[in-house]
Amino acid sequence: MKNIYKPLFYCLIGSFVLSSCTKFKDSINTDPNSPTKASGTQLIANAEQFLPGLSSSPYGVHYPQYLSNTSFPDNSRYVTTNFNFYGLYEGPLMNLQNVIDNTALDASEGPITNQIAVAKILKAYFMWHATDRWGPLPYSEAWKGSGNFTPKYDTQQAIYNSLFTLLDEANASITAGDIKNDIVYPGTGNVAKWKKLGNTIHMLMALRLSKVDPAKGTSEFNKALANGIMNANTDNLAYPHLAVTAQENYWYNSFTVLSRNWFAVSKPVVDFMLPLNDPRLPIFANKNTAGNYVGLDYGLSTTVTPGNYSLLGNAIRQQNSPVYLVTYAQALFGLAEAAKIGWIAGSDATAKTNYDLGIEQSVRQWNNNDISALAAYKLNASVVYNPATALQQIGNQRWVHLFMHGYEGWAEWRRTGFPTFLAPAPNNNGKQIPRREGYPTQEININSANYNAAVAAFPYGGSDNLDARVWWDKP
Amino acid sequence: MNRKSLLILLGILTCYAVSYAQTTIKGKVTDENSIGIPGVSVLVKGGTVGASTSGDGTYSIAIPASSTTLIFTSVGFTSQEVAIGAQSIINVQLVSDAKNLTEVVVTALGIKRSEKSIGYATQNIGGDNLTLTKENNVIGSLAGKVAGAQVTGSSGASLGGTQKIKLRSVNSIGGGGAPLMVIDGTPVIDYNFGGTENGVDYGNTSQDINPDDVESINVLKGPAASALYGIRGQYGVLLITTKKGSRGGKKVDITVSSAYTIDKVGNFLPLQNIYGVGNSQVFSKLTNGQNFVNGNDESWGPKMDGTLIRKINSFYPQDPEFGLLSTFDPQPNNIKDYFETGQNINNGISVAGGSENSDYRLSYTNAYTKGTYPNTWLKRNNFSLSSSLDITNKFKVGVNANYANNSGQRPTQGYQGSFTGAVQWFQRNLDVNTLRNYRYADGTILNWNVNPNAAGVITSNKPSDWNNPFFDAYEVLNNDDRNHLFGDINASYQLLPELKISGFVRSDILIQNVTHKEPLGGRNLDNYNVLKAQGTDNNYEFLAQYNKNIQDFSININAGANLYTNKYTQTFQSTVGGLSSPNTYTIAASVDRPTSTSYLRQKQIRSVYAMGSFGFKDTYFLDASIRNDISSALPKDNNSYWYPSVSGSFVFSNLVKWKHLSFGKLRASYAIAGSDLSPFQIVNTYGFGSPYPATSGTISSMVVPDGLKNPGIEPSFANSFEAGIDLRFLNNRLGAAFTYYNQENKNQVINLSVSGASGYDSYVVNAGLIANRGIELTLTGTPVKSKLFSWDITVNYAKNKNQIKELYQDLKVYQLDLNTYSSQTIFLNSTLNQSFGNLVGPGYKRDPATGEKLLGADNLPISVNNVDFGSVVPNYTGGILNNFRIWKFDLAAALSFQSGGKFFSWSQMLAAKSGQSEITAALNDKGINVREPIANGGGVKVSGISSVTGLPVEAYVDARTYYRTNLGTKFYDEWVYDASYIKLRELSLGYSFDASLLAKTPFKAIKLSAVVRNPVMIWQKAPKGVDPSELSSGSSSISWIEKGELQTVRSYGLTLNLKF
Repeated sequence: MKNIYKPLFYCLIGSFVLSSCTKFKDSINTDPNSPTKASGTQLIANAEQFLPGLSSSPYGVHYPQYLSNTSFPDNSRYVTTNFNFYGLYEGPLMNLQNVIDNTALDASEGPITNQIAVAKILKAYFMWHATDRWGPLPYSEAWKGSGNFTPKYDTQQAIYNSLFTLLDEANASITAGDIKNDIVYPGTGNVAKWKKLGNTIHMLMALRLSKVDPAKGTSEFNKALANGIMNANTDNLAYPHLAVTAQENYWYNSFTVLSRNWFAVSKPVVDFMLPLNDPRLPIFANKNTAGNYVGLDYGLSTTVTPGNYSLLGNAIRQQNSPVYLVTYAQALFGLAEAAKIGWIAGSDATAKTNYDLGIEQSVRQWNNNDISALAAYKLNASVVYNPATALQQIGNQRWVHLFMHGYEGWAEWRRTGFPTFLAPAPNNNGKQIPRREGYPTQEININSANYNAAVAAFPYGGSDNLDARVWWDKP
Repeated sequence: MNRKSLLILLGILTCYAVSYAQTTIKGKVTDENSIGIPGVSVLVKGGTVGASTSGDGTYSIAIPASSTTLIFTSVGFTSQEVAIGAQSIINVQLVSDAKNLTEVVVTALGIKRSEKSIGYATQNIGGDNLTLTKENNVIGSLAGKVAGAQVTGSSGASLGGTQKIKLRSVNSIGGGGAPLMVIDGTPVIDYNFGGTENGVDYGNTSQDINPDDVESINVLKGPAASALYGIRGQYGVLLITTKKGSRGGKKVDITVSSAYTIDKVGNFLPLQNIYGVGNSQVFSKLTNGQNFVNGNDESWGPKMDGTLIRKINSFYPQDPEFGLLSTFDPQPNNIKDYFETGQNINNGISVAGGSENSDYRLSYTNAYTKGTYPNTWLKRNNFSLSSSLDITNKFKVGVNANYANNSGQRPTQGYQGSFTGAVQWFQRNLDVNTLRNYRYADGTILNWNVNPNAAGVITSNKPSDWNNPFFDAYEVLNNDDRNHLFGDINASYQLLPELKISGFVRSDILIQNVTHKEPLGGRNLDNYNVLKAQGTDNNYEFLAQYNKNIQDFSININAGANLYTNKYTQTFQSTVGGLSSPNTYTIAASVDRPTSTSYLRQKQIRSVYAMGSFGFKDTYFLDASIRNDISSALPKDNNSYWYPSVSGSFVFSNLVKWKHLSFGKLRASYAIAGSDLSPFQIVNTYGFGSPYPATSGTISSMVVPDGLKNPGIEPSFANSFEAGIDLRFLNNRLGAAFTYYNQENKNQVINLSVSGASGYDSYVVNAGLIANRGIELTLTGTPVKSKLFSWDITVNYAKNKNQIKELYQDLKVYQLDLNTYSSQTIFLNSTLNQSFGNLVGPGYKRDPATGEKLLGADNLPISVNNVDFGSVVPNYTGGILNNFRIWKFDLAAALSFQSGGKFFSWSQMLAAKSGQSEITAALNDKGINVREPIANGGGVKVSGISSVTGLPVEAYVDARTYYRTNLGTKFYDEWVYDASYIKLRELSLGYSFDASLLAKTPFKAIKLSAVVRNPVMIWQKAPKGVDPSELSSGSSSISWIEKGELQTVRSYGLTLNLKF
């Protein structure tokens, strides 16, 4: 009998040993599907792809009433209260934070300080956009992964101060040498453009403080200006869409791919531009089927026949139509306003120069440098710079210039009150034009203590809805 | 050990065994009806030599010359001793012992044991009860037949869509946890290609098991029962035993079964037939003054009162009705008319037989289903072979092989699916038959969701949201095919009468191909995509089994080892930017750079295990097991873990002398089961972003993924205790099995949803403690038993209470899932100290004092976020199975029920939002249609507390504002329903032809049955139109949302079984 048990015993032992070994080949649990090492500029390139989304939004475009809905009018009637910022935090901002924190960046993709500086400028830009929409947001404790899953909300004032510092750091650290894989500023000399972009953002952010903290605003404004801002439309931050599906313009997708004639230029825009023969109107709007420019009343609750109104202009919704974000003309209107309110020297004379140049650069930007109708336009009495109504004229021109960049146009309307002829959607239970956007409902569940603290500390009271005001929007 | 030495070993063993045998005795053991009894133990009295009978009751035993007596023992029969004398053939008839009539149960590792020795709950379902009405999916056929099993699945219209099963409620914080399927010992991964509630449900691979091949399914419910399957058996095991050939004689059994059923759609959501398309009750007019209908998709328009209008087809110059006016009329059947009568043809043949030392069974089944959705079908072929051969008395080999091939063309469920959106957004005035010829002779597509301009010209014939449903059916095609091979080869050697060693190589290989074709002219860009997935799972097993009886003690010890390897690869390609040559479905036709991804996943688990069973006097039994798993998916330094189980039973009926008690057993068990995680969850990586194809060269991009991984992950464990009692009375005419269980699953590996402000949306963590307590009760009875009439009834009932006891650190809510429509979000959460899976979403703001709805200045309700609507987990589930035999007729009826569990119905919500639902055109309390102007007595009556004055208000509000912009948008209280139901699932009436009639025919038996599958929902708490038992959430582990179920299907047909 024994000779049976012996091999059996070895066999048993053998299989136990075979299966009890706790070592596996390393390759078996190494994910072959994803890289473990990052490329700083490729992370930046991905973050850049989120830029057009800051403008191309079916929500932001309604608040300053650039577009009206021919059907499905909920968005123009402020039905949605809560908006999700997770996409921005997990997407571009996390990519950029990874670059900023990365200790293993590859200098062959461009000077490492420049990779980090570009990441900081973009981070500041995305974050500026976010805080202007929601107000207080996680910032100092954000993007820490497992280090903090319930980050606290910083006040908007703290965020602005942090972003000013971030932009200062970027400005100071930029050295010669371009970075690779740059979508928005391709070609040689891109780092110089990034530097000007950072300072322009800095300057425009400073101007946001005009109602709430003019002193801080003035000093930041002048610092940014001194560091060197944009000085040509070629410096513009505009997202260059391509004529391919994966990189196409949002509005092309909406109108052409999805065949949705849902967006007409709103009545306030057409009624403001048409009497002045604004050369930009044919770019902004199509004629209706009867051959006229007819704006659609803003915020109606019912569906209309799209053919009766001016749909969004073809030039703006080609597959590769660029999306303008931070532009030279906007900087000029900022300078005009700063001169008028005494933040920079030169008062009305400087204000007029920048105002006139702003209009010209805006027309050049929108009309592909065609300024044939500009001279006549500038002769309109209401367009000619008038010291008595300068702020309104600057505000209105800025509003026109920022066409389609709804969130930015809306922020400037909240800050300046211009244009004054925007009325909330009619017959809408007394709802006013929103002053901020509500937080994502997820936060109420999974970051509740910080969420509650943030809402309780709103600078001018109110609850987490569309009516509370952000810090710089001082009533 | 290499192969050579194994062969030598086997050779030595064989020689040894042969030389040891001296005399061989053969024979057959039968019952009172002369039917062979399998598994009877044949022992030499006072010796160590033994054998057991094969499937037909025959045996063969080699005995030492000194032997004098053989002992025949079998569960359920009185033991018998026979003197050998000079006989070489000994046939024995055993007498059944009512006291001990207990079933033989197949337990873990395929070990057959008598029911009385098992210390935990199992439930056995015979094959006949699985094929009552030819349900295609084995899991689907278990609905209502197992206490504690919750079966949810998609409508029959899905043609083999997902059927999911959960045992003992939700035992995972993340909602996952399906039992392991084991077919003749081979674990078969239930790959699920079900997608989500939106899309095509290609089903799970349990549908590749041919129900006709199934002898029985034994359901091992808790971890104790499944401890020997390791981590894969943590949520229970479905042990499927297939039919086998029988040994002895030269007879060959040939069985032919055929079924033909027709499928009819039912359960339509009640819609209004008064108002037609539009968003105001005023007709749109063309410039020529004609009223017309545009491509709007809501029915808040004018009354369908026969007014002359231009219908949508009158705007197509190619249409015979071009330019003509027609009447604006309701189309009550405009959804029903889309469907066709489905057909199902199922033919199977099996050949089974054996010789003295071998058995075999071969089967082939072919099934064809023509769907109820136009142009959908499913074809299926199943082959199976099982055979075993005794090379010598001691050395046995066997093979089980199953091959399944499926190919289908399936409908799409959910929003914008195969006309599943018809109740959501459509026109009550549109006759779907006018859309049937969807393409004019010149190729132009007839669309309904396009808009003519005021001049009556359709300038863009691209639909905004909805294709012509027939265009979808005939040109937007979803095709899949799958080849699936699973089975094992095995060898065993009886080293000693009490010791057997076995080796198994088990494989489960699956290749799935899926294609999607999107033609030019629809609402989407034309597109072609193709997915190929391949999964290979292998198990290499070694098992040693030792059985010994020493006087009153029985000892049974099993020890084994298992190496499991899993490899899954997938490639996916899709065209981007359209097809360069229309209707040329190849990736090469991609206009832009096509999407192309490849994916590889692999994993290994090494296990050893041992189990011992000890019995005393056939009355007291104790089991213990221990298992060690080493998983490659865990961190290197912490990848090995052990877990034990212990269980015991006490057959007190052996001691209690009460004549009415036929059988009584108490049982209890405690078990720990371990669990690992998917591969690649412990190292953070980067992902690939969209490339930017600039003219100067493509710019690649990279992303930080949204999911954060965790290098510190540990194995997690489930602790489970259960106790129960099995009772049978009155000669087994009445039986009850009761189980109480308490299970805690701790420290599970989950993807924790975290605040996106952290830079990630989820984190892989060990977290949580989910507790389930419940009872299971199965009552069986034979209220009537006579020659002409008998009635068997089985009632299953299970009640479960579920609680989340811990989450992660101080986290109070774990977000499992969410859904957003119209910017309103509803969440599926696990909330601390609550039942698993509460639905939280926008709903009524209520007056804190009275609980009444708060109304705004406009008398419309005010909405708030994050109203808790309750848990998706049912309170109790169960079923009733009745089998009647009346003369030669058999009548079987299977019923299932569920109480509680919430679900969210998108269809009901949107039917109201779009003005199609009956309620949107109901009469108010004044008897006036709610759509009439308020000034004329119309409007919807609302009541509540005014948020302005704080006083109660009763008022009338505009119906469209109420339903379209309010209730249908942001008051989910109205659309979250209780899923309670009672459903008659299966009904069959069979007639067995008299054997005497068949004497002169080649047939041994003929049975003809009329069957009905899913005949009627007897009662449901939720309103008609959405079937809570068919919530079509695809492969997602919890079915809580419905975005457009495929239409309910009821099947009626005949089945014919012939035996030769």
